[in-house]
Amino acid sequence: MTVQRNSQIRVRVRQVDGSPVASLRLWLWGGSRCESVAGLSWVTGRMLTEGTRGRGWREIAEECEALGALLGSFGGIESHGIAIDCLARDWRFGIGLLEELAFDSSFPEARCRWVCTQGIAELDSLDDQPDACTAWAFNEQLYQPHACARPRPGTRDSLASISGADCEAHHRSRMGRGGVLVVAGDVNEDEVRHAVGDRFRLTPTVASAEETFVEWRGTGRDRQEISTPAVDQAHLFAGHVTVAMDHPDLPHLEVASIVLGSGAGLSGRIPARVREQEGLAYSASATLVLGAGLDPGRCVAHVGTSAETVERAELCVREEMQRLVEDGMSDTEFEEARAYVLRREPFRRETARQWAGLIAQGELYGQQLEDPEWVAERYRSLDRCAVEQALRHHLRPDDLKIMVGLPGGAAPAC
Amino acid sequence: MTSSTLGEIEVEELPNGATVGLVRCPQAPIVSTVVWYRVGTAAEGPEEGGVAHFLEHMMFKGSAAYGPGDVDRITQALGGANNAFTSHDSTAYYFQFAADCWTRALDIEADRMGGLILGSDEVDHERGVVLEEISMYESDPWDALERRVQERVYGTHPYGRPVLGTEASLRAIGSSELRSFHDRHYCPSRATIVVAGDLGVDAAERVRDAFSDLPRGDEWNRPTGRRPTPAADRRITRQHGDVARLLWAVPCPAWHDPDHASLRLTVQALTEGKSSRLHRALVEEEQLCAWVAGELSANLDPGTLSIAAELVPGASPQAVEARLYEIVAAVGTAGFADEEVERARRTFEADWVFGHERIQQRALSVAAALAHGDLAFLFRYRDAVVATDGRQLSLMAAEYLNPARGVVGWSLPEGVRA
Repeated sequence: MTVQRNSQIRVRVRQVDGSPVASLRLWLWGGSRCESVAGLSWVTGRMLTEGTRGRGWREIAEECEALGALLGSFGGIESHGIAIDCLARDWRFGIGLLEELAFDSSFPEARCRWVCTQGIAELDSLDDQPDACTAWAFNEQLYQPHACARPRPGTRDSLASISGADCEAHHRSRMGRGGVLVVAGDVNEDEVRHAVGDRFRLTPTVASAEETFVEWRGTGRDRQEISTPAVDQAHLFAGHVTVAMDHPDLPHLEVASIVLGSGAGLSGRIPARVREQEGLAYSASATLVLGAGLDPGRCVAHVGTSAETVERAELCVREEMQRLVEDGMSDTEFEEARAYVLRREPFRRETARQWAGLIAQGELYGQQLEDPEWVAERYRSLDRCAVEQALRHHLRPDDLKIMVGLPGGAAPAC
Repeated sequence: MTSSTLGEIEVEELPNGATVGLVRCPQAPIVSTVVWYRVGTAAEGPEEGGVAHFLEHMMFKGSAAYGPGDVDRITQALGGANNAFTSHDSTAYYFQFAADCWTRALDIEADRMGGLILGSDEVDHERGVVLEEISMYESDPWDALERRVQERVYGTHPYGRPVLGTEASLRAIGSSELRSFHDRHYCPSRATIVVAGDLGVDAAERVRDAFSDLPRGDEWNRPTGRRPTPAADRRITRQHGDVARLLWAVPCPAWHDPDHASLRLTVQALTEGKSSRLHRALVEEEQLCAWVAGELSANLDPGTLSIAAELVPGASPQAVEARLYEIVAAVGTAGFADEEVERARRTFEADWVFGHERIQQRALSVAAALAHGDLAFLFRYRDAVVATDGRQLSLMAAEYLNPARGVVGWSLPEGVRA
């Protein structure tokens, strides 16, 4: 394999006290938002544990499990990669395995066929879950033709067309475009840095083709009903696309989101109205920036209710959103919502796995997410007027897209 | 004081019978509070189906010092989190707060233990929410199948009752039934209170201050010696959805039975990880199933060991079921290879560590151990699992993984037969 020494894979190490655990993550930038075939990133990610030039999936699995290590690989919307959680004493093993899988994966065709079959099984399984299939129909309504509109495995047709060679090409391409290697846990930072050394600076040479991003547009339908295999429960999803991670109003909307219904228990306006006041649902929630990343996130209110009360639930959601936009929030609501966001920070930094994820996300988005002070300052600097202004700009109750999954039928194919 | 991998643990019993556990693990400025009642669905009377879970909902709907919705509002304002769950043996409530305000959880828990308000309007309103919860689970393919299999495998044993109750049973429950259940069971002598995290020096005193004035409550001896009575018809087929799903459940010993720990490692060797026996065969090599999973219930009475699998498109349900029985029978006769046993031990040990990284998880584990046994049981059980040898695994498989003793449930697409 031809290699170059100008890899953009950054190495980040952090000591985390508390448990004798080490979490290793290799995230390679790209993901399904950059894939040429739907599902290619997902299959490529899965294939990273299916065999290398030196050994097959079974030997890899047996070696990991002999140490009690958890090995996973993934293809997400913005990256694909590998995750290893092991006992802290085994961190050297983890680094060696990451290197082997990243550089020597062989993408055997027979295993690729099996991974694609599993992908089809996952899509079938999603279709059987009324809330999940309605949620994906809603995502399609908002984001089509962008990758956010579809489940990560892609489609049944696309999965049938993906080969091991496609995965290898995709992986090599992404290796050359950069990413991050994170080691977090009960480790000595200097020892880890020394052990990693230059091992991840050697990346395959790739042709520097231009990236092709597909913009999101949505289906253009304002309201849609689909049939789900639910026995007697309907699912309502209402919302629209909002802002990406780098938007200056994101912290404002995160605070407003707590007021609307993404905080603790049932204290937000939509769960309080739909469940606590009207008793329409067991599950009721609302958020303004779900899935915000390199691409815009979405405002989503979700209610699981009976088919007879779904219209009432929709009315409640619309009214609560309208009320929030028109009347704003009280000082108490604002202060409590901001305090909630600020005080949740320690809970996001409790474990090595959480730290590893935060650091990788920070690298992906170019933000200092691992620095609690940096995060806190984003919220401390807000005031109620600024949050309300952002809310009026980004929350559009008159422009809600509505997706209703009604019980009693076969689900649409994801 | 017990020094452990979970932290420094102190246990005391208050004069009114409440068991208190303090877990000092100050790695993050967080405190989790768990109040664990040794009562659940299995303690319900014949006309009370679902009352334990219904009461769990009502615990958030107002008490002497906290109006309806206040618990969630306060939790949010303090940046905390709260939730609760009901099982057949227990009902548990938990809060997570920052270390500078965690004692609010004690105030709330003591107030609703001693002064729960069960207004009829709130009860009627919340009944509708629980009915929606039932609909939600009934619409989930796995939950719906599991409920049917559990009914069949436990028969008349209370574990066969649905935790949520039924629409009919819930409509028969009002404020007086909820009050009766609360008065009988929500008292210090049936409660275990565990706080874990960055506690500070006066944690024990704070817990005593909050709960010591509450009356002990009546003695209650949980019925013992009850065993599942599986129905004569051991097969269930549900035509639903697009995917074939298999759930096989066999009776297993109670949590405190010495066989339980050995059986735990048997399940580990069968289903945990790509190289485990069932996963390797059914998923990776023969490619019949998208996934396979095993679960061993940890109940006070004998419970169930369940194997679940989701089939890939085109796989024959009959072939999967036959292979499942063949593989577990082979373990019963020929056992596992030494390497398989060792891998099961190592993955179990590591899972135990991963499963206790969070302070909340430590609090729940300690609460469960104290509520249903003693603190040492938590570690004794872990050590017993790891000490199990290959011969015991084979014996466990031969004794418990017997198709003739279990109930098999299938959820199949229309037109597919098992």
